[in-house]
Amino acid sequence: MAKVKVKTFSVIRDVLGADIIEIEVAKPETVGRLFDTLARRYGQPFREKLWDPATGELAPFLIVLNETIIRSTTDMERAIRDGDEVAILFPIGGG
Amino acid sequence: MANGFKHGGYVGQILRVNLGNGGVSKEPLREDWAEDFVGGVGLSARILYEELPPKIDPLGPENKLVMMTGPLNGTMLPAASRSSVCAKSPYTGSFFHSIFGGYLGPELKYAGYDGLIVEGRADTPVYLWIDDDRVEIRDAGHLWGKDPFKTQKILREEIGDEEIHIATIGQAGERGLPYAMILCDIRAAGRGGMGAVMGSKNLKAIAVRGTGGVTVPNVLKLYNTALRLNQLFATSPAVQGLSGYGTPRNVAAMNEGGILPTRNWQTEVFKGMKDITGEVMREKVVKGNRACFACSINCTKYSVVSKGPYKSVINGADYETIYGFGSICEVDNIEVMCKADELCDEYGLDLISTALCIAWAMECYEKGIFTREDTGGIDLKFGNADGMLEMIRKIGEQEGLGVLLAKGTRAASAITGQGSERFAIQNKGMEWPGHTCRPFPAAAVGYATGPRGGSHHDIRPTAEKSGLVDRKTLEGKGALAAEVNHWLILCDSMLVCHLAEPIWGPLKISDNTIEALNVVTGWELNYEEARKLAERQWNMIRCFSAREGFTREDDRLPIRFMEEPVPEGPMKGSIIPRETLERLKDDYYTYRGWDLKTGNPTKQKLAELGLDFAIKDIC
Ligand code: SF4
Repeated sequence: MAKVKVKTFSVIRDVLGADIIEIEVAKPETVGRLFDTLARRYGQPFREKLWDPATGELAPFLIVLNETIIRSTTDMERAIRDGDEVAILFPIGGG
Repeated sequence: MANGFKHGGYVGQILRVNLGNGGVSKEPLREDWAEDFVGGVGLSARILYEELPPKIDPLGPENKLVMMTGPLNGTMLPAASRSSVCAKSPYTGSFFHSIFGGYLGPELKYAGYDGLIVEGRADTPVYLWIDDDRVEIRDAGHLWGKDPFKTQKILREEIGDEEIHIATIGQAGERGLPYAMILCDIRAAGRGGMGAVMGSKNLKAIAVRGTGGVTVPNVLKLYNTALRLNQLFATSPAVQGLSGYGTPRNVAAMNEGGILPTRNWQTEVFKGMKDITGEVMREKVVKGNRACFACSINCTKYSVVSKGPYKSVINGADYETIYGFGSICEVDNIEVMCKADELCDEYGLDLISTALCIAWAMECYEKGIFTREDTGGIDLKFGNADGMLEMIRKIGEQEGLGVLLAKGTRAASAITGQGSERFAIQNKGMEWPGHTCRPFPAAAVGYATGPRGGSHHDIRPTAEKSGLVDRKTLEGKGALAAEVNHWLILCDSMLVCHLAEPIWGPLKISDNTIEALNVVTGWELNYEEARKLAERQWNMIRCFSAREGFTREDDRLPIRFMEEPVPEGPMKGSIIPRETLERLKDDYYTYRGWDLKTGNPTKQKLAELGLDFAIKDIC
């Protein structure tokens, strides 16, 4: 079980209700498992922010894992450890 | 179509006004040009290529200002609210398109015109009153010197119609400042000095009232497409948050990702970020939303600072305000940003260029190039909010250092010297928006080769910024940049808003875009045909620049991005060195079938696209 801090912004923050939340991720302790755990805990309001209803797939967005940028499209198998910090860079478009 | 024009969505008529001799004429829209260039920017590029001799003075009477709609404007399709203003730019020296949202474009269409061409120069200030069929050039002596909002108020009272839609310039446009904008109701055709071109014609305002409609081949089909697109807009993850937070929804996330441009781009992490986010804006100043015509995304905010030194009322702030008058000048006060936005609107100044010129001056001051004497006594260090506001006033009023800053960072740094050109954040003369390219090679080559230089609407960094593609590799980035150009320019000819990016793009022209165009026009374009339309338009604009003398050498990046890596944060070390940029340019030109030496379209490419008429000019 890995306990990680998740930093959130904008509409993801609205759903999670805080700038930073702590969550425990069961084995296999991966980034993908973290997002599944979040989806289970926060349900449809969370899912609809990050999963594309047209394809059923996770939208492309960047994630900061302890200062390292990783991608939702390729890095969900990445291991996470107790004490890690994960920031969800909600799908970023231009202004 | 019921109106006699062959294709749906068009009125079939262009209004031409010659301010030099007072002539007003209504001309049929060329069907073949609508077929080949669609409308909006593409069509304007074709018109201006035809009608403007090369190398004219952009502020001389020979230049023409073309305001154009697209076939989708005025229909029920969402985000089809945009219109374009095009001319030869006094800022970049080439073809320029500035796009605005709101209601004016659909209104022009309802008045019976696909577009308006303004030529010549009036002897004294005038405004144009377009009331369906009736078109009048009226005296604007009483409006000259007034800010855009006062001008709009007076005109609505004078004409006796609250519902008219109005494009106006401020003092900046009247004075011909090269980054003057046009305010179209509450939305800006902000960039590239289109306001200066309007001012050079002594044209203070264009007021429009239209009571007609738009004809499409099959209303039920249109309705179904509109319904489907609205559902997509409502559910696409990348569009969410725009209604709640507006375009500043990503400020905090961008900072966390190390891509929030700060301190005149010395870094991309802002320590004062927490006070300028979309969340803070919503909590402190936002009073409501003001959507553009028929747009269900509804991103535009209406904000009020009700008391204190920064008392102001604005439409916004948009992300570019937060970037420009926030992180880039290191100001961490949302109320100051509202005031800065209001001042720019009142003077009629492009907000991005204004902010970047001030940030450049702040860096000059930091480095000892400018002294307090130069700044008129202002301690112009980064973070000095009141100093920043005072500099906006000086630019608007043309006082002291404001005279130099009004020329833009390219000209100002050339005059100032002392290495200040190294931190002038512009290419092709235009200052940069708040979207970095240092970690994103496709964005880098897109910015460098874009016709407007520092515009995030000639390229979008989104595919790399969202991780949709691998940002670290150079492979395939020329092709990606070109295909992003294509969906953008096709949207700019249809005149739909880029903010619905995941629906119209984001990697290439999407099926949604093609469906929207087909359902309105009655065309049956497939992907290859739609792509060719877009490619033709992009090459048309490139031909305009080539005829003005632009070559591969002009496809540059701001020096800072080629010499200084991002110093901190998750993107630390990111940089586009010169040799990398040259390699990317080779890749891009090769993909486009352009000449590697000149960077311009080849004879074969022009022939393939039906642009043979340009061969004699540029090959
Ligand atoms: S997304 Fe925003 S800017 Fe674009 S058309 Fe809609 S309301 Fe206007």
